[in-house]
Amino acid sequence: MANGSMTTRESADAKIIDVNEDLGSYAAADLRKTIDTLIDGASQKIIVNLSEVQHINSTAIGAMVGSAKRLRTNGGDLKVYGLAANLKRTFDLVGASSVLEIYDSESSALAAF
Amino acid sequence: MTQTKKTKQEILKLSVPSCLKYIRPIQMFIGQLAQQLGFCRTRIYDIELIIDEVCSNAIEHGSETPDSGIDLTLTFDSSRLEIHVRDKGKSVRKNWLATGRLDEVSQKMTPDSERGHGIFLAEKLSDSLEILTNPLGGTDVQVIFYFSTSSGS
Repeated sequence: MANGSMTTRESADAKIIDVNEDLGSYAAADLRKTIDTLIDGASQKIIVNLSEVQHINSTAIGAMVGSAKRLRTNGGDLKVYGLAANLKRTFDLVGASSVLEIYDSESSALAAF
Repeated sequence: MTQTKKTKQEILKLSVPSCLKYIRPIQMFIGQLAQQLGFCRTRIYDIELIIDEVCSNAIEHGSETPDSGIDLTLTFDSSRLEIHVRDKGKSVRKNWLATGRLDEVSQKMTPDSERGHGIFLAEKLSDSLEILTNPLGGTDVQVIFYFSTSSGS
């Protein structure tokens, strides 16, 4: 499934969103829509691949935090991987590193479910 | 005798429609300017992030319609880059970041809050952040980046 510069694929029983554009305010809405579509389709395990993302803003991070909270109420979760140093710093500054599970690789994110 | 070199202050003004799709081009333009001025890569990242956060707030909270528009003024010389973003406010909520509102947002904010982090990122990553109400009923946000700070220039 593709939504703008985001594609969704399946690995094991998780859905993986590959983000292929920077996540500013405009693209953050696409990310939220993509995640919402997966959750509405009963997906419980979602992984967001940020390895191609150079910039992220607080709206995009907030969308992932909100979705993780929503999934956790039903036993699911949203995990992220592939953060460049600048992105990790932004996650740390808004406190999202303490809320979201962040991994170095897709395999480690998958193994954590 | 030490002679201080005087550098000319330059000013650039941009007026753009209140549409989120224009933020990335604005970010890229200001990022290029910051690079030309000599800021390091990390600092340029911070400047671009702050532009995103401040402009998206001005569009979402301080613009009635796309035609309302936001105004950016960039002032720079050899010591600093100053970025001023002005919105015109909404009729239902004038001065969305008026005095006291920032404290209100701050008190409600936690790491798992979905919104409200943008202005605090701007405060943390800039050398100076000032929020003022303007005569149009909107909000002015001014951020300053100095060269040769602890973050590196």
